[in-house]
Amino acid sequence: MSNWPTETKYISHSTARIDAPAKLTGNARYSSDIQAEGWLYGMIYRSKWPSAKIKSVNLDKALQVPGIKAAVVVRDGEFNVRYYGDEIAAVAGVSKQACLDALRLIEVQADVKHEFVVKENDARKDGSPQVWDGAANTVAPHVRENGTVDAAFGECAAVIEGFYTTPVQIHHPMETHGNTVSWTDDGVTAWSSTQGISSVRDGLAGSLQLDHSKVRVITEYMGGGFGAKFGAGAEGVLAAKLSKAAKAPVRLMLTRFDQALAVGNRPSSFQKIKMGALADGTLHAFEGENYGTAGIGAGGDSGGGGGGADIPMPYLYKVPNSRVKQSAVAVNAGSARAFRAPGNPPASFGMESAMDDLAVKLGMDPLELRQKNDPNPVRQREYALGAEKFGWKEKYKKPGSSPGVVKTGIGCASAAWPAGGGSRRTQGEAQINPDGSVEFRLGVQDIGTGTRTVIAVIAAELLGLKPDQITVKVGDTHYPPGPGSGGSTTCASISPTVFDICTKALQQLQTQTGLADARGDNWFAACKKLGVDPLVVHGQWQQGLSSDHAGGVQFAEVEVDTETGLVTVKKVVAVHDCGLIINCVTLESQINGGVIGGIGYALYEERVMDDLSGVVLNPNFETYKMPGIADVPDIEVILVNMPERGVIGIGEPATVPTAGAIANAVANAIGVRVPSLPITPAKVLAALGKVPPPVNS
Amino acid sequence: MKAFEYASAHSTDSARELVANNGAYLAGGNDLLGLLKEYLVSADLLVNIKSLPGLDKIEPGHKTWTIGALATVAQIEHDPEIKKVFPGLQEAAAEVASQQIRNVATVGGNLAQHSRCWYFRHRDTVCLKKNGDLCYARNGENRYHSLFTGNPCISPVVSSLATTFAALDATAIVLRDGKESRLNMAGLYHRAWENPLAHNSLNPGDLILRVEIPTARSRSTYMQVSDKHAFDWALVSCAAAAEVDGGRLKSPRVALGSISPVPHQVEAANQFLDGKILDDATATQAADLILKDAKPLEHNAYKVPLAHALIRRALLKLKGAA
Repeated sequence: MSNWPTETKYISHSTARIDAPAKLTGNARYSSDIQAEGWLYGMIYRSKWPSAKIKSVNLDKALQVPGIKAAVVVRDGEFNVRYYGDEIAAVAGVSKQACLDALRLIEVQADVKHEFVVKENDARKDGSPQVWDGAANTVAPHVRENGTVDAAFGECAAVIEGFYTTPVQIHHPMETHGNTVSWTDDGVTAWSSTQGISSVRDGLAGSLQLDHSKVRVITEYMGGGFGAKFGAGAEGVLAAKLSKAAKAPVRLMLTRFDQALAVGNRPSSFQKIKMGALADGTLHAFEGENYGTAGIGAGGDSGGGGGGADIPMPYLYKVPNSRVKQSAVAVNAGSARAFRAPGNPPASFGMESAMDDLAVKLGMDPLELRQKNDPNPVRQREYALGAEKFGWKEKYKKPGSSPGVVKTGIGCASAAWPAGGGSRRTQGEAQINPDGSVEFRLGVQDIGTGTRTVIAVIAAELLGLKPDQITVKVGDTHYPPGPGSGGSTTCASISPTVFDICTKALQQLQTQTGLADARGDNWFAACKKLGVDPLVVHGQWQQGLSSDHAGGVQFAEVEVDTETGLVTVKKVVAVHDCGLIINCVTLESQINGGVIGGIGYALYEERVMDDLSGVVLNPNFETYKMPGIADVPDIEVILVNMPERGVIGIGEPATVPTAGAIANAVANAIGVRVPSLPITPAKVLAALGKVPPPVNS
Repeated sequence: MKAFEYASAHSTDSARELVANNGAYLAGGNDLLGLLKEYLVSADLLVNIKSLPGLDKIEPGHKTWTIGALATVAQIEHDPEIKKVFPGLQEAAAEVASQQIRNVATVGGNLAQHSRCWYFRHRDTVCLKKNGDLCYARNGENRYHSLFTGNPCISPVVSSLATTFAALDATAIVLRDGKESRLNMAGLYHRAWENPLAHNSLNPGDLILRVEIPTARSRSTYMQVSDKHAFDWALVSCAAAAEVDGGRLKSPRVALGSISPVPHQVEAANQFLDGKILDDATATQAADLILKDAKPLEHNAYKVPLAHALIRRALLKLKGAA
């Protein structure tokens, strides 16, 4: 890993985003800003039933609405819909209002099934309506066992049992899913809000039965993906079909309402955990049983698929004797998709809650219990570093011992992310012009984390230039193929690639110009010697410049009003490692975002389904609650720079431990556990035993 | 939304005339536009009333202040005199939605706003409030719903201004059938208590002109708790107002929002408090009286201790301001 320079001017320092001016002035064109010539609005008609067989769809009246240019059905013949919001048809027209009017005139003949189920615990019952005909909603759990669990519990000095639950979390990036698609005789161009231009290109080509070479995907700027924007999606395929039918580009961006139904989500978890330790705090026995729902994407024949309900148990701690049982439950609701660190935030919440409950039973400081049982040497450094900065020793009090009505508490939790390494397929090129200007072109996309800036920082460092002298082009499948931005892999994919391009460029410049070192002060002279032809250098990902496995530890301080149940997060200290840090300021920004997302998961976010109607009751930001600025505490980010490990991604671990740390801080404040996310005033008051029973009316 | 026509009214008479044919008054539009977009109400004509003369004023008075229905919530929030004379009203205004919304939201619109029940607001559920057969919330997801109601619908009133106006014993002046009618907050909402289809007592065409607030209670306060710290509806809100004379409460009034289709007021509690010197025990007794007949459902019982805490805090804050 030592090929990275040790004395640096830009790498591991802070460079403001090179595209900040474009973003701040509105010049950056997000996918939802694209206005291709002659474009039409597109909109999707969705199932109003949680379960039905669609017999026929009549689009005639919709097509007669003035301004409507095309209408298509998602598939021919009869088909089933299995959740409220499942796609049935789509229209394209000259205005949003024309589309809205047309949607209301689509006539659907359907056999409506009045038997459906939207809640996990109902779906698990014998005799529950079946989401998939002829298949049970849940199958026997798969069991993984190490050691001798039952005997081991007998050897423990302390054993706790808990039932920890997390809700379905909806994907709500600032920019909804969607795209503009133009399908002409020459092929398809899609301006997609995606975190994977290559996977969208391949997916569209497959769905539309076109050669890959006939499909181009462009993503100049996009407003967040979080794991749910790798594929073309129904919105991509429908926009393409509409474009073909209407002979015009179709912009189909989902509404916020759509977004709540059908673009994937983080599965729920219901974790029954039994855990025991020896008298010195060494974890000795673990039994975990978890089920959760990935919506229709679980149980039986999963047509929806994607994003499993399994979580890593017992997460990052070493327990010699363990038994883990997991199963997924199908319900009539939108299916899961990868969601920032799939499986990990619920796993962290459950296990870290159990850790603190066990620490209480052992009479141990919960931080010490972690230090005793966490096998990871990097996190051991992070516990010490974070505890020092946070003031853990001074702040830690026995649970519930904080005086007064408004009690303070602290908690910590950890993250392990096994991925974060680079994608070997990553390629890129640089064009070096005789005037000294240089352009990097990579078929990667910026999910919002500062990908362009990372490229500019590395190129500037290695070429001896300034980051603003580097022009960066990304987000186009016409550029050399790059990775999807998922699994925290982007930085570790592109950094070695840019390194390779720069190394080759310098060699080539030396060969072509005879100058021994083209860097820095010599750059313009060297480029001038190229004559009239630019130098184009191709590079690819190289081994030895990146690795994987990032961790992190977060500490939270909260105030809990024991009369109103309101939780206020006062402070979060986030200690994270990701190998060699490329750019501190964008890294900190990503960690801030991870923490804020974690606060939402801890305190606010929850998809609420209605039993009787089967609808999502909170398909908007009024009742699907996300943290606002008033909910965000002072966040202190502490970076552990480890150049010897090469580049590793950070996106996912940053959001993993926040909810667990907050939940533990709440338990520390009030002396009782709120075992269920989100931790609302209602649940805090219930945990404190203050809520009267309902009155039967 | 459905297509509509648009007209500006320059007098209350023309406003009423224009609105008569399936029209709707448009002021800040925060509530109306949301309802139209979700096809929850339909209007053939939107009658812009923002230009009606004189209705956006806040007028001080010795015994009574008058706040025009077109005054914005932000005007109340930022008026330094209101902060002194009716501190509870300023506090309530500051909790409404976000600054951007407060800048355009009007007093009349805040009072007249429709139910926020998520079944009512959902485009594809036909609940009792939308002429359907049943209240989905009653046996469904009722965490945000009422502890008190006089009818099968359990959608609560959420106007924080109404809660505070109730505690201040304010009167809404409503133009009804060409005449000015005076409705206190109980009167302005009583129909919602009885009738699931109503969210207030206004008839079609009724126009709120202004609100009159007596200065008789120099102490007032408003507090709410929401899931979030800003830009969120109150789970429970509580306003209290009184004159304090020699440590004793005079003409105290307590009102709560988000727990009943009307601002929840219990006259027996107001009477109990009258003349009392406030301490924890008195505040607790008052809270007990106010919540005595609460009928919590499966998911909203937490509102009982929450309301209890807010009542006690609001009352003690009245005293504390001495």
